[in-house]
Amino acid sequence: MNSERVTNINRSGILITIIVFVALVYTVRLFQLQIVEHTRFDKESTENSVKAIDLTPLRGVFYDRNRELLVENTPAYTIRITPAYYDTSNNRILEKIAGLDPGAIRTILKKNKDYSKFTPIKIKRGVTFTSVAWVEENSELLHGVDYIIELQRGYPAGVHGSHIFGYSKEVSKNQINADQYYTAGDLIGYNGIERKYESVIRGIKGKTFIIVDSKGREISKFKEGYQDIPSIKGIDLVLGIDAEIQRIAEENLKGKAGAVVAIEPKTGQILAMVSAPDYDLNEFSYVTSRDYLRQLATNPDKPQFNRATMSLHPPGSTFKVLCAAIALDMGVIDENTTLYCAGGFTFGRFFKCHGGVHGSINVTRAIEKSCNSFFYQLIFKIGLDNLHEYAKRFKVGVKTGIDIFEETGGLIPNTKYYEKTFGKNWPQGVLVSLGIGQGEISLTPLQLAFYTALIANDGKSFSPHIVKGYLDENKNFAPNVVNEVNTGLKKSAFEIVKKGMFLVVNGAGTATHVRIPGINVAGKTGTAQNPHGKDHAWFIGFAPFEDPQIAICVLVENSGFGGTHAAPIAKKMFESYLLRDKKEIKGQDAKSLLAKN
Amino acid sequence: MRNPFLRRTDSRQVYYTVNDRFDLSMFIAVLTLLALVFLAIYSSTQNTVIEKGNFLKQSIAVVFSLVVFTVIYNLPTQLIKKSSVPLYIFSIILLIAVLVAGRKVGGAKAWLYFGSFSFQPAELAKVATILFLANFLSRNQTQIDSIKDIFYTLSISGVPVLLILMEPDLGSSLVFAGMLVTMVFWKGISLFGLFLVLSPALVMGAALFGGLYFFLALMIVLAGLIFFKRDLFFSGSILAVNIAAGFFVDFVYDVLSPHQQKRIASFLDPSSDPLGSGYNSIQAKIAIGSGGMFGKGFLSGNQTQLQFIPEQWTDFIFCVIGEEFGFAGSITIMVLYLILFIRILRIANMSKYQFHSLVAVGVLSVFFTHFVINVGMAIGIIPVIGIPLPFISYGGSSLLINMTMLGILFNIYRTRKNYS
Repeated sequence: MNSERVTNINRSGILITIIVFVALVYTVRLFQLQIVEHTRFDKESTENSVKAIDLTPLRGVFYDRNRELLVENTPAYTIRITPAYYDTSNNRILEKIAGLDPGAIRTILKKNKDYSKFTPIKIKRGVTFTSVAWVEENSELLHGVDYIIELQRGYPAGVHGSHIFGYSKEVSKNQINADQYYTAGDLIGYNGIERKYESVIRGIKGKTFIIVDSKGREISKFKEGYQDIPSIKGIDLVLGIDAEIQRIAEENLKGKAGAVVAIEPKTGQILAMVSAPDYDLNEFSYVTSRDYLRQLATNPDKPQFNRATMSLHPPGSTFKVLCAAIALDMGVIDENTTLYCAGGFTFGRFFKCHGGVHGSINVTRAIEKSCNSFFYQLIFKIGLDNLHEYAKRFKVGVKTGIDIFEETGGLIPNTKYYEKTFGKNWPQGVLVSLGIGQGEISLTPLQLAFYTALIANDGKSFSPHIVKGYLDENKNFAPNVVNEVNTGLKKSAFEIVKKGMFLVVNGAGTATHVRIPGINVAGKTGTAQNPHGKDHAWFIGFAPFEDPQIAICVLVENSGFGGTHAAPIAKKMFESYLLRDKKEIKGQDAKSLLAKN
Repeated sequence: MRNPFLRRTDSRQVYYTVNDRFDLSMFIAVLTLLALVFLAIYSSTQNTVIEKGNFLKQSIAVVFSLVVFTVIYNLPTQLIKKSSVPLYIFSIILLIAVLVAGRKVGGAKAWLYFGSFSFQPAELAKVATILFLANFLSRNQTQIDSIKDIFYTLSISGVPVLLILMEPDLGSSLVFAGMLVTMVFWKGISLFGLFLVLSPALVMGAALFGGLYFFLALMIVLAGLIFFKRDLFFSGSILAVNIAAGFFVDFVYDVLSPHQQKRIASFLDPSSDPLGSGYNSIQAKIAIGSGGMFGKGFLSGNQTQLQFIPEQWTDFIFCVIGEEFGFAGSITIMVLYLILFIRILRIANMSKYQFHSLVAVGVLSVFFTHFVINVGMAIGIIPVIGIPLPFISYGGSSLLINMTMLGILFNIYRTRKNYS
């Protein structure tokens, strides 16, 4: 071996210097991190592991006008998967148990793959107790599968109210972007009252603080939940709806296509609103099955379409009442003005009256007999644009402003409209049928119900609305503030028109079978011509005549004459609403009223 | 009973105290570090499902490597030098084998599996290269400033580096660079020789960052050549070698898979992958900083226990100590390493044989490079490079090789007074 020694002390010194220098730099750096900046890093380290989780508040519930619970929150089971622990070979069996379509779990997991593998993913809401029991029993084989209890909507009153209440859906990305209240997985009102009053009934979210690890796994509560903020339940709504007559209307429209709207004339509150066919909100209370959606989508009668506020039909003879009131207010006729009916009216061609020749006839009789000739002539006295402007005051041909988003405005044509459709020299003949509510006029059942209410209450009411008021946690009631509607017509005009409507029921009119002993009902039937099939039947009416408390509009599509098909439904509702609990109705004897006319 | 340390090995020398044959203070420093391993690895893995077995595995590795240490300590010293060539060849074969048959873990093909036993050939290559390089440099005829011997020296360390770079494992490659520079420096290389050794490394490193840096590095080399005023032909060849080295890096980079290229890119610029190494770096600083003066206490560090730092039982183990034992704990670790480094340097200084002295410095450079990179990255001074902290990080191969190197040092220490 070679014995040459490394004796270069200088080199050893350089190495020692380097070692000590690095040790010094690192010590200074450690001092900086652990002593000087300790507070900052300590804070960051706490923030790292403390996570705030939203507590979803209870949604406000809905009561009817008599405080009967219509829409409540009921517990429901939700099955969840924690991907980190879950074995995908269980997909098929779990899908079967949860009632999911084959392949659904894979799709859901794929959709959520960007989130932490330790965050549970809801795969099915509203599963049956049997399914949950099965999951519980087989929990040893189903790693990463659990369930939680969430709240879903329940409808305890046996009232469908599908188009009134509406339902909620999971928020979309756009909705989350638009309103920072929401986070993924939240529910938001999709239609009906649930949507319109979303901001009131959703409540205020709370927060719970938990300690999580770097993968988002929950370790424990932060400070034993001492700093948690409880959620605040949404505000309860009291609806103007009367559960009983809502039920009656729903039952009587079963198997038909049509709509019923009942309004309290003095307040504008909606007492009942039905669109038939309707659908089962229970199916929407959480995730809706594809089968049910398919069934709804393929039904030719479109159950999800709100006929009460969106379907447009000519109002038929029910429109005569409005024309009469307008003419009387304008002064182009008075109570005694008679027009001649020769069984029809000639304007270019012959327009037939029904029920034979009425001869000279005044406005009340014309309403009673539904004399077409009278109104053929009357429309020329009123004038097209006056009709349009007056109608607007009755919220006819425009949106009424009801408190749901699903509403259409309808159409009362004016000169402009005809010029646009037929050109400058549009044929004046088209006006003739407007007088009897046919032709281009198309209105919603809600508009008809509301103008009936306005007529019943002498031209004054409030915008039609479903929500009567709010209840806070102490059940203190606060009324819903709505706009007043005043048509500004002369009171006498309404009195005369109402007399005519009284005669329709109580005289020799078209709805005599609506009479109810002890209550004086006033009404008007109508038949909307339907080029596609059988005519649509209309009935509008209010009661009691002396002090109107309810105004109703009934539409039964493709049925025929209004008096036969629509009026009986209204009669049942009048009876129920006004005679409930054998309430005494201080009505004058119908005969004595008749004698005055 | 007979004192086991009191043994006559030759007629002239008798050892009376433990310290004559055994560097007790260095051994105690290492034992303390090993004890800290248990605390740190237990703390960092007790909450995990998969890594919980690490504690037991590391305990077995500690016992096994202590046995290996004892065996090597008692080997005849001559065997160390004799084994250097076969060991070097064997480790090169293993490095090739791992590229062919290795298993990919964490993006690098660095592990060889023999049944349930796994091993990192790069670790063995560290010892083998130290020994072979020391052997070569300590030859009588080796002229460290001759271009021929510099070329041989570069080749001896260059072969394992290239193979390890292909895994790719940049951290280990850097350790070899540190080893090479320290050992030729210790051998007594002139400034010009050091320049020759460092220049290709500089150029290759710069080439990774792109054309502009490559060009700047070449300018620096050119400036150096002008400064040393060697003849034109000689300087020209050196420049040519450097340019070739730069293009070679480019060539290797192109051969690498996109995934490996991405790894290198994020190594060069951690902020390019904030949720990867950038995230680790931030979380590491938070862990250490939040430890404060005396730390949050054993098993009470939320960064550690809630696993905000990935690989906290290997590359980021220093964070566990920093968070749970604070500044006091960190400084204790630093002091223990300082003792280790200075005692090794002492062995290098007192060895009669140049081979032994070079081996000691080689081992020192390996430990030191590991320490500088690992701690430096935990405290955010150096970019994130995956490399274990000697004796403390979890990992059987690394611990076994560290204890082997320690055994060699103690063996050298034991026989330092022997003359053959």
